[in-house]
Amino acid sequence: MDKEPALLVVDGLTKQYGDFTAVDNVSFSARQGSVFGLLGPNGAGKSTAINCISGLLPPTSGAIQVAGADIVKDGKRAKRSLGVVPQELAIYEDLPAVENLKYWGKAYGLRGADLDARVSEVLGHIGLADRAKELPKTFSGGMKRRLNFGCGIVHKPTVLLLDEPTVGVDPQSRQRLFEMVEAERDAGACVLYTTHYMEEAERLCDALAIIDHGKIIATGTVGELKSQLAARDVLQLSGEFTDAGIKQVVAALTDRGISDLELIAFEPGSLSLTLSSASQHLPAIFEAITSSGGSITETSLRSPNLETLFLLLTGKELRE
Amino acid sequence: MGFILASIRKDLARWSRSPLELLLWLGIPLIIGGLITAMAGGGNGAGPNGTLLIHDQDESLISGFVAGAYGQGPLAEFLTVDQVSLEEGTKRINAGEASGFLIIPAGFAAAFLDEEPVTLTLKTNPSQTILPAIIEDVTEILLDAGFYAQAMFADEIDRIRNSDTDAVPNDIFAADMAVRVQGKVDTISPLLFPPAFDITIVEPPPTEPQPDLGLLFVPGLVLMAVLFSAQGLSADFWAEREAGILQRLISAPGQLNRFIAGKALAAAIIIGALGGITLIIGFFYNSVPLSKLPPSLLWITVSGVGLFAWFAALQMLFPNRKSANLLTTILLFPLLMMGGSFFPLEALPDWIAAIGRLSPNGFVASRLAIELKAESAWSFDLNGWLIVIAMMASGLALCAWRLHAGFARR
Repeated sequence: MDKEPALLVVDGLTKQYGDFTAVDNVSFSARQGSVFGLLGPNGAGKSTAINCISGLLPPTSGAIQVAGADIVKDGKRAKRSLGVVPQELAIYEDLPAVENLKYWGKAYGLRGADLDARVSEVLGHIGLADRAKELPKTFSGGMKRRLNFGCGIVHKPTVLLLDEPTVGVDPQSRQRLFEMVEAERDAGACVLYTTHYMEEAERLCDALAIIDHGKIIATGTVGELKSQLAARDVLQLSGEFTDAGIKQVVAALTDRGISDLELIAFEPGSLSLTLSSASQHLPAIFEAITSSGGSITETSLRSPNLETLFLLLTGKELRE
Repeated sequence: MGFILASIRKDLARWSRSPLELLLWLGIPLIIGGLITAMAGGGNGAGPNGTLLIHDQDESLISGFVAGAYGQGPLAEFLTVDQVSLEEGTKRINAGEASGFLIIPAGFAAAFLDEEPVTLTLKTNPSQTILPAIIEDVTEILLDAGFYAQAMFADEIDRIRNSDTDAVPNDIFAADMAVRVQGKVDTISPLLFPPAFDITIVEPPPTEPQPDLGLLFVPGLVLMAVLFSAQGLSADFWAEREAGILQRLISAPGQLNRFIAGKALAAAIIIGALGGITLIIGFFYNSVPLSKLPPSLLWITVSGVGLFAWFAALQMLFPNRKSANLLTTILLFPLLMMGGSFFPLEALPDWIAAIGRLSPNGFVASRLAIELKAESAWSFDLNGWLIVIAMMASGLALCAWRLHAGFARR
């Protein structure tokens, strides 16, 4: 895959609103026939980044190349290669589904028989061929999402931007959307996919960047990112803990040979630790906490994944 | 060009699914126009019509003359005379079914011939004003005429009175009476026709010809339909913004200006159609030559797109759809009032009319009025065209600026 050309190159992208920096020096590249994910919690700067890439917002600094064209300096050429599926629906609810697709096809220069053929193809692809002449206002939420997706791909974009396309979508439609994204990737498109769902990123993305507070805090393939956890589990405990008590607990457990124990986050009511083979050490951990005067009301043990990596990197949950 | 056509088709298809709004934009001016016409009594409709009930207890030749006088000449055009019984007449006048009820008492003819006092009873309908007054005036005129006839034909009346009234008069008597009456009529005719006094008719100073009342309202009502359409159509920018369409459009290569052009042309078609219907109705109702229809239609369509563009630009300056709609709705009614849609500019005080002609719709309506009243078609002046084209171009440019300057992002 590394031999495929990079169709989307973001270099030092920064977007500021006054003193507030929404996107801070973000750089990444995405290749043809791959899905690149931007994973981060709400408000992390994913949508701002995608709005800059789509030409909706002018970047404060940095450069964005879409299929070799600069989105700021050569916006018209760059946009010809772009397809955008915005987070919120962007369809005419009072225009039949087929007319929506034709309208957006014409917006990208498709005409005549080519347009008709492509619209028929997309209608089948998004599963709305039998509802083509109906108004979207009569559709379910999932069907509207699929039409929204169809409007973004009707002109066969080489770079497809998907901004949290599964927000508010039922599981069945979500599965359908995943299949549509995979089909676009398999057809050779470069897909930029933003989400705050770890499982979506793990399933779809060939490479991804984890973003928080406008900054990329980790980047790589899913495998590479997981390896940063070094197969350590994340143990989250709720109860009553004191600062002094926790230091005592960490010291006691280290003395008992748990050398890779790391305290990720601590608040008076909750505690997050990372360590390998956590389940084997649970009795020792409980004993140490009780001995230090603390108490445990709830325990959660998670094996290494992107969400635990985010927790490790930021000290907070991905969905906070 | 392809995307412009697609945008026109898209807007026309969408608006065709909102027939109620289109009907309101067209219907309100037509209803108001109909009401104004009805109130002004314009057109070729029938005039006031009333009923005079007469109960003739005398049933003589003279009482018959009196009853018959109400059904003669111009009176007959708006007054129906019904001979009724006393009971029926009382019942109908009390029920308000007639304008007046005249009771001619028994012995009326004898009293008239004997020059004795007699009372005619006239009951009028208090819920009516014009027709009862006319009946009263006519009755007084008839009584005055009777007085003068008595004085003039005293000898003949005396001879009739002294004749055997129960028997049929013989031919010699009738012929003699006819010759005597004719002789007196011939004697006084030179005095009566023409009258033996001079009448100097003083012509009022020449004034401007009285305008056709119905025609005065046409430009204002047409502009009302245009304004309603322009304001309603302009709100679509907000609808498309909230639907995320404009945001998606920014990601498309260089289509915003074509999108605006498409919207303006779709607005032109809708405004032209609705304004055209009101125009055609006004033309037929006021018998305006159809040769003036094409220039009038072109004029209101170009002006309508200008109004649409400015309404849209104003709406796009506001932070949310509600306040934008509120502003243009608030703006709409003073414009309608000042611009001659409710009261023709010609009927407004001069200073208000002068301000009204400066309002966009007042300007358009006043130029349309000139065209409708002109001797020939295409009387619009070049300055007028330049002004409305400038209004349209500046409004559309402002719309484009707002779309590019951030309005498209939701």
